[in-house]
Amino acid sequence: MAGLLLAAALAAACAPAAAMAQTQLAEASVNGRPYDPLERANRGVYGFSMGLDHAVLSPIAHGYMAAAPKPLRNRVSAFVYNLSEPGTVINDGLQGHPRRATRAAGRFVLNSTVGLLGLFDVAARAGIPAHDADFGQTLGRYGFQAGPYLYVPVIGPLDLRDGLGRVVDTVTDPVSLFTGGIGTAFGATRTGLNALDTRVQTDGAFRALEDATDPYATARSAYTQHRVFVVQQATGEVSDLPDFDAPPAAGTPSNPPPPSSPEPSHP
Amino acid sequence: MMTMTASDTSAPSRRGVAAAILALGLALGLAAAAPAAHAEAPRDAGAEQFVQAAAQKVLTTLSDKSASATQRKAAFHEAVNQLVDVPKITTFVLGKYARTITPAQSAQFTQAFRRYAETVYENRLNEYRGASLKVVGSVVRKPGDVIVNTQLTGGPPGPPLAVSWRVLGSGSNWKVVDMQFKGVWLAITQQQDFVSTIDNAGGDVGVLIAQLQRDAQKP
Repeated sequence: MAGLLLAAALAAACAPAAAMAQTQLAEASVNGRPYDPLERANRGVYGFSMGLDHAVLSPIAHGYMAAAPKPLRNRVSAFVYNLSEPGTVINDGLQGHPRRATRAAGRFVLNSTVGLLGLFDVAARAGIPAHDADFGQTLGRYGFQAGPYLYVPVIGPLDLRDGLGRVVDTVTDPVSLFTGGIGTAFGATRTGLNALDTRVQTDGAFRALEDATDPYATARSAYTQHRVFVVQQATGEVSDLPDFDAPPAAGTPSNPPPPSSPEPSHP
Repeated sequence: MMTMTASDTSAPSRRGVAAAILALGLALGLAAAAPAAHAEAPRDAGAEQFVQAAAQKVLTTLSDKSASATQRKAAFHEAVNQLVDVPKITTFVLGKYARTITPAQSAQFTQAFRRYAETVYENRLNEYRGASLKVVGSVVRKPGDVIVNTQLTGGPPGPPLAVSWRVLGSGSNWKVVDMQFKGVWLAITQQQDFVSTIDNAGGDVGVLIAQLQRDAQKP
């Protein structure tokens, strides 16, 4: 079942990638303008999501931050993070990183037992720091392009590759398969805590967006750079960075440039 | 060593996964005992020393309790001048518009951007005032263009924050042009923010300048 879904997702990831012209693909690299053909619709969803955040999600997150002291919130973070480790093991394995898979599995065993069901990250203190791995990263590891940028209501920024990755990670998550998924009380609680924890963890980023002159473009830039970085952690490649010594080449089309012309030109 | 394939995940059974986890747990000792040998990439000691001293100084000025708020601001301004190549970044963040901006607008933008950036970064760095910065390595991209990797400890609780600094220069003469954490380069992000703002204003840099001037007035 999960294997079929995996195969279907892989096929789905291939199809649009093959259909798009090479110049249009424009891997959302750190020195290129993110590929955002749905910008108009995305901006609409972004505005809606930020409105929803101001009205509902932010007050809930700040209420929680005010009510629950930091040490307690850290236990919640550690608990939900620990449940994601088996998924990390799978993706480390799929990426061909047995050493990382071993570390994530060791962390899960240690933290689930000595760390009292994951409430305490004893593994980090024992010298096994956490690392993340997800299926979007796994796809990127094998050369799948990011595809178009998407802003999804409530979930936030994604690209096509990472959206598919999220779906695969969700349906293949070993903890969900063991415990029965979101339909169970445990699954629903875990999902709720995860959402709450994610909003709290990203509160600094939400505040940083308030300083931006174009918050939508800033969130898109930060997200695409972060995901390029995540994929590079799996491939071991290094960033291609822009040239600081000269402004972009003359003849760069203006307003707005097509995605095939990266914003800061580089050698 | 365990390798997982797609077919392993197609039929996850409680026993199979439990056995895999057990095996991995046992292998843990081996993995810890045999750390990977890293290939030695070229480092630049001069660039590392520069970041260690100049970036630490910026964090230290923010935590100087003996100074008044005005003195602290002045010290921060000076420490930023020593650390950062302000003119280069000011040009960079304008992207393609750096070529078309008029001299008058350029002068206005330089002033507005500096005030805006100092306000924003002073606020953001406040969480890290008094934190200590430790250089953990560097990578020479090409001679005179180096990424210096550091860790910040003593800020908000949690594991040390990994911050990378891109420095340009040579010998003992270096300046930072960009900094990165979690994969996000701040100057690149700032450029995409500003260029998008100007694009959406039909190419009018004045709209961005006015917005920066307004933002700098915000409390």
